Amino acid sequence: MKSARSKAIASLSEAKRLRVLDVTGPAGVYAARLLAEQGHEVIRIEHPAGDAVRRLGPFLGPSPNLEDGAYHQFFNAGKRSVALDLTSDEGLAIFARLAQSADVIVASGLQHADLARLRARDQHLVTVRLVNDDIPELIAYARSGLLSITGHPGKTPVLMGGHIIYAATGLWVMVATSAALLVQKATGRGQSVTVDIQQCFETFLDMAVENYTGRNRPTERRGYRGAVTAVSGAFPSSDGFWMLSLGDGNDRWPVLMDWMQDPVLAGDPALAEYDERQRQRDRILDRISAWAKALPKIDLVTEAQRRHIPAAPVATTSELADDPQLIERGFLVNVDHPRYGRMRFPRGALATLWDHSIGFAPTLGEGNAEILS
Amino acid sequence: MSEPGPLAGLRVLDFSHVFAGPFCTRSLADMGADVVHVESASRQAGDRYRAAYQHRNKRSIGINLKTGAGQQVAARLAAVADIIVENFSSSVMRRLNLDYASLAPANRRLIYISLSGYGHTGPRSEWLSMNMNLQAYTGLMLMTGFEGDPPTAISNSWNDYIGGLHGIIAIMQALADRVDSGAGRYIDLSQFECSVATVGALLLASAVSGKTPPRLGNRSSDDAPQGVYPCAGDDQWVALTVQTDGQWRALAELLGRSGFLADERLSTAAARMQHHEELDAAIAAWTREQTPAAAASRLQSAGIPAERMRRVADVVDAPDSGAVYRPFTTAGGRSALAATLPFTFGESALSEVETPHEMGADTRDVLRDWLEMNGDEIGALESDRVLV
Repeated sequence: MKSARSKAIASLSEAKRLRVLDVTGPAGVYAARLLAEQGHEVIRIEHPAGDAVRRLGPFLGPSPNLEDGAYHQFFNAGKRSVALDLTSDEGLAIFARLAQSADVIVASGLQHADLARLRARDQHLVTVRLVNDDIPELIAYARSGLLSITGHPGKTPVLMGGHIIYAATGLWVMVATSAALLVQKATGRGQSVTVDIQQCFETFLDMAVENYTGRNRPTERRGYRGAVTAVSGAFPSSDGFWMLSLGDGNDRWPVLMDWMQDPVLAGDPALAEYDERQRQRDRILDRISAWAKALPKIDLVTEAQRRHIPAAPVATTSELADDPQLIERGFLVNVDHPRYGRMRFPRGALATLWDHSIGFAPTLGEGNAEILS
Repeated sequence: MSEPGPLAGLRVLDFSHVFAGPFCTRSLADMGADVVHVESASRQAGDRYRAAYQHRNKRSIGINLKTGAGQQVAARLAAVADIIVENFSSSVMRRLNLDYASLAPANRRLIYISLSGYGHTGPRSEWLSMNMNLQAYTGLMLMTGFEGDPPTAISNSWNDYIGGLHGIIAIMQALADRVDSGAGRYIDLSQFECSVATVGALLLASAVSGKTPPRLGNRSSDDAPQGVYPCAGDDQWVALTVQTDGQWRALAELLGRSGFLADERLSTAAARMQHHEELDAAIAAWTREQTPAAAASRLQSAGIPAERMRRVADVVDAPDSGAVYRPFTTAGGRSALAATLPFTFGESALSEVETPHEMGADTRDVLRDWLEMNGDEIGALESDRVLV
């Protein structure tokens, strides 16, 4: 099956390798990582005191510092670092000189006029400007409506964990950047793009908005039991939870019954119809919970998949760090990390796709001497 | 679109269905590509509503892919396409003679992307996948929520967005490479890997420590207090976050708890983090007496970042939100809203949203535009029921 994989290009040739200036905060930092995964030279411009990404916990060392943040180590992987204070005139002047060597600038906190001046000097330059990315994450999440659809019914609504929403906004920034780079490549002309981070949040509510405005269907927090169809949800296993998703058709129900061998459910022929399963939802879900809770989740999921019933483990990140699919496809690679020793490192989705290697996150300002000279 | 988008002139043949694929192709359409969605009668079952979030700004061609002649029409379209997007399980396109190996010899510029659940290689490649399963398997459900909570989900097709966005980016990279090489390529994208990448920081933390980082609920890792607090009314909430000591002083004054300011235990964010539950109780006691709008307004006036929990209806109605949405007319003639692109090129406006086309509405136009078929040829295909 290996041959079916997209053919790897080991590294980009010098001609295709772009120089990227990454001046993003948490809402855009994934975009610049993806540019590094594509093989480009990404120079992160950081405040000498350390920026917000470096300050996000958890920390991989014994105590918080500017080098060991998990977000820094993942999202700045493969980049260089230049420490520069862009609030000072001197810093801005150095930045403008550096910009002369760049193909693309992805920037938060820089003024439209400043970027326009750089483009006027260099007709080839692509600038991607982030706006509305200074609204605190939880506040933007509440404003966008996403908070109202995350969590359990009636309970405190909750922000998605792991700052995942910022990876998602970073993806939109990268879509905009990629489109601009494509036009630059085709025409030789620079581009100016503006990405509104609050609007990025809002895009992920679009199904709910259309269902509400187009069909009067509300979307609320649904929890984890029977959330999608009558017989679906996260159920306890002996070692955590597993997720089962039986569709709203009738063909998988007899398969589940054959597997469970539950005399109570199997003895109720009316349950062969979806509407009846919907009516008796809680009873069915309770029986599944009681049946499955003595079994390990991977056994449950493997058997469900063998029977063509969609199922998956509810995984922790520790379990993902040993996941056979991620290892087999090369998403997780063994590395000798300069700070953490021998470990499995998440290469990233695009680096895996193109089979590119990716470097480690830079120490703050490691590139100052070399890049600025 | 008010002016040609960055992908104008590109032809996309779209074999995708729910939802990562359709989201990917609709975004390509929003950027100006000519997206032709291939539909067949057998996939039309169920809900008749043509959702703009899946079908807008695309053309629809109806082809019976179960017939050899139908497969040939699709292959001819593929020969003049720039991009094919599909998200069937691994064997389907091969069975239809529409896999990359079958199509590439006639079109070396073709970029062909499979957006499957787990990718087409590896021990999980045959696993059936659905959005909720990916929310579970990629760690999202056990990192969202509070410690001790059951798995916690978001009520949208989250992983389809994440997979679709990575797909768009991969396609554009392949297009850029094609400018240099003249050749397209096959892209075996795994939605699972895309979503795991978005939790890469915590995965990395686990790989180093062997442990799973704690769930933070609504708390920040460094600012305090931060949370979502109950207000008067049923299921009404307000979110606030204190990021500076100045905001902390303003909050204490607003709560009528100036004693907090003299309390050594609460003088820094790190110290407040240690006593977060005590602060949560004090804040909730204050918010509980007010509507969320009143609480948010008073907090904002005091300079504290705050927002009520907006529901979908609130987002639609609020004058300062929903900027990304554009009105469109549903096939049923109703006015609805759909999200457009959250970015602008130069001075050009956001893309507009067309009424989703009915299945097969553009069959004749597409066959004329892409294949220069004449009316007789099209008529023959129609009478042979190759077109549907």
